[in-house]
Amino acid sequence: MTEQSRLLKKISAYKFSAWELHIFLDTHPDNCEAAKKLERTRKMVAELTAQYEAKYGPIAETNEQTSRWAWITGPWPWENGTEEDDD
Amino acid sequence: MWTYEKRLQYPVKIKTPNAALAKLIATQYGGPNGELGASLRYLSQRYTMPYPELKAILTDIGTEELAHLEMVSAIVYQLTRNLTPEQIKAAGYDAYFVDHTTGIYPVDASGTPFNAQGFAVAGDTLADLHEDLAAEQKARTTYDNILRYADDPDVRDAIKFLRQREVVHYQRFGEGLRIATDKMDEKNFYAFNPQFDRKTRK
Repeated sequence: MTEQSRLLKKISAYKFSAWELHIFLDTHPDNCEAAKKLERTRKMVAELTAQYEAKYGPIAETNEQTSRWAWITGPWPWENGTEEDDD
Repeated sequence: MWTYEKRLQYPVKIKTPNAALAKLIATQYGGPNGELGASLRYLSQRYTMPYPELKAILTDIGTEELAHLEMVSAIVYQLTRNLTPEQIKAAGYDAYFVDHTTGIYPVDASGTPFNAQGFAVAGDTLADLHEDLAAEQKARTTYDNILRYADDPDVRDAIKFLRQREVVHYQRFGEGLRIATDKMDEKNFYAFNPQFDRKTRK
């Protein structure tokens, strides 16, 4: 596993945790414990995402990015490295 | 509106192509219990839902289903890479191939294209929530059945993640149903008064 995919896996794990808390809070909007946990998890996501994007380019098109090439360059999420347009 | 994140919700990295398995898994893209129908079901039902919790859960689960749609597509795509026409024929994938090559098109396991009649929007809170609970169980059953035929650990890993999400969504919709029934008045004890006829809030 490359450093890039290891970091992306870590981000995905924290994002998954945040998402779980987010949808739990849809049906339990008064659960303070879950809300606090969500806040902590989102901070971790923000830190790791900043690390990732500084090295490997944008994850989301809403993030501040100056390089158009970084966004359009593969691998795209569904690809497994066997694509012909790979460098 | 929506924004796109350039990642899968859970990674899909399949090393060994297997078109016969792709044919089965494709049903979770375009079949009756698939992720396309799931996202359309929830994102269409949310407009007439009466309570904030229900509007939120349908929006969020409908959105997550789009991420699952992408995962299922990625699985089918990776399972059908770098095959010869002979291998495709041997796998029984030739009928699909002749129409779509290895493009991703929403069909069920027997090749019938996606049909919106596979899901319902009744415009009634209880009818729609019961549809959603059933849908999550049907999707879970389909993933269980796919796991009976999938030996490849790379494929099983991603399918098990998707299966588990159906279980969690079922929990959230169950809570939504409880919220809805708790808010009904005593005249609706048997849960049959049509939502359309309820008095509009002042």
